[in-house]
Amino acid sequence: MIFSEWKPLDEIVRQLDGRKKVLLVGCATCVAECAAGGEREVETLAPLLSLAFREKGQPIEIVTCTLEKQCEWEFVEELSGKATGVDALLSLACGIGVQALAERFPELPTYPGVNTSALTIREEAGIWASRCAACGDCVLGETFGYCPMARCAKSLMNGPCGGTRENGKCEINETLDCVWNLIVERAELRGELESLGRVRGPKSWSNSRHGGPKRVIREDLRA
Amino acid sequence: MHVPTRGMKIVVLYCQHCVTYGKESPIAPREHDGVVVQTVMMPCSSKVQASEVLKLLAAGADGVEIVACSDESCRLLVGSRMAEKRLQYAQRLLNEVHVPKERLGFSWKSGVGPEELEAIGLRRASAVEASTVEAPGGGEKT
Repeated sequence: MIFSEWKPLDEIVRQLDGRKKVLLVGCATCVAECAAGGEREVETLAPLLSLAFREKGQPIEIVTCTLEKQCEWEFVEELSGKATGVDALLSLACGIGVQALAERFPELPTYPGVNTSALTIREEAGIWASRCAACGDCVLGETFGYCPMARCAKSLMNGPCGGTRENGKCEINETLDCVWNLIVERAELRGELESLGRVRGPKSWSNSRHGGPKRVIREDLRA
Repeated sequence: MHVPTRGMKIVVLYCQHCVTYGKESPIAPREHDGVVVQTVMMPCSSKVQASEVLKLLAAGADGVEIVACSDESCRLLVGSRMAEKRLQYAQRLLNEVHVPKERLGFSWKSGVGPEELEAIGLRRASAVEASTVEAPGGGEKT
């Protein structure tokens, strides 16, 4: 899932300074899974902002709404009535949702309430870890299901590096597994260690951010 | 900033299993020396979410106290601990927006009666008042 975290609350308060009525919009998909922007977080942030502005002597009205998906126009349209009469929008969705609101309501300032930083899996309750870097050239078939782009601190394609600890942890963090150590262990488990000796051509970055903003057109799906 | 005076309202959210009297005997809000203590029975303290205690503050409560069963008597085993963690999270959020965290409190109790619940509420009122007393030199104690 896309992983986001609340921005520092001081920053959120600063963004909304001077506003009288704000529509706080959540998203019930990825940001709900990572406990940053679902209904629960929206209903936590709203009273918190009310208290913060009351403390500053600047009462503010916070209206809330959590969309099923903030990145789909059909769902964004639900806001058309609620956005009437507000000074600004505050989105707890990833950057896609924030931009969707800004595009749908260009007359209103739209502020991000979260920072989006990774594509993660929830390892257990309250713990998320990177699993994908959206690099545009997936190598998981060659790396035994472990992503060195997302899970190696150096994004090495030829690890392990010399910084791997004797216990198989990464030099930057003793709680972080060296992903190349994991790759080697799984290769051994499958009896395919020699496959890691194959020379792979340079990784193509043309399909990632380095190739410029992505815009995909699938004619088979278009009306 | 929020400066409570007597005329305060404190909400005490308590687990139904930590009281000695029956569930059918809710306590009506009562005023003690200018503080109204409203007690609200919960099916389990772990049901209390951070959003709910913050909403109570935003709606006008001066302080909120969660009363949970003592660790060894929690019927959900980890219910009281979950409630405490959520309250600590809400306190941290309050701290970040410069609202005294003393407006929220947590107590571990077993076998309490209505008088003790009210006394807990009154202690929370005193803590809220103390957190907002102006310190010498014009600063504020938080």
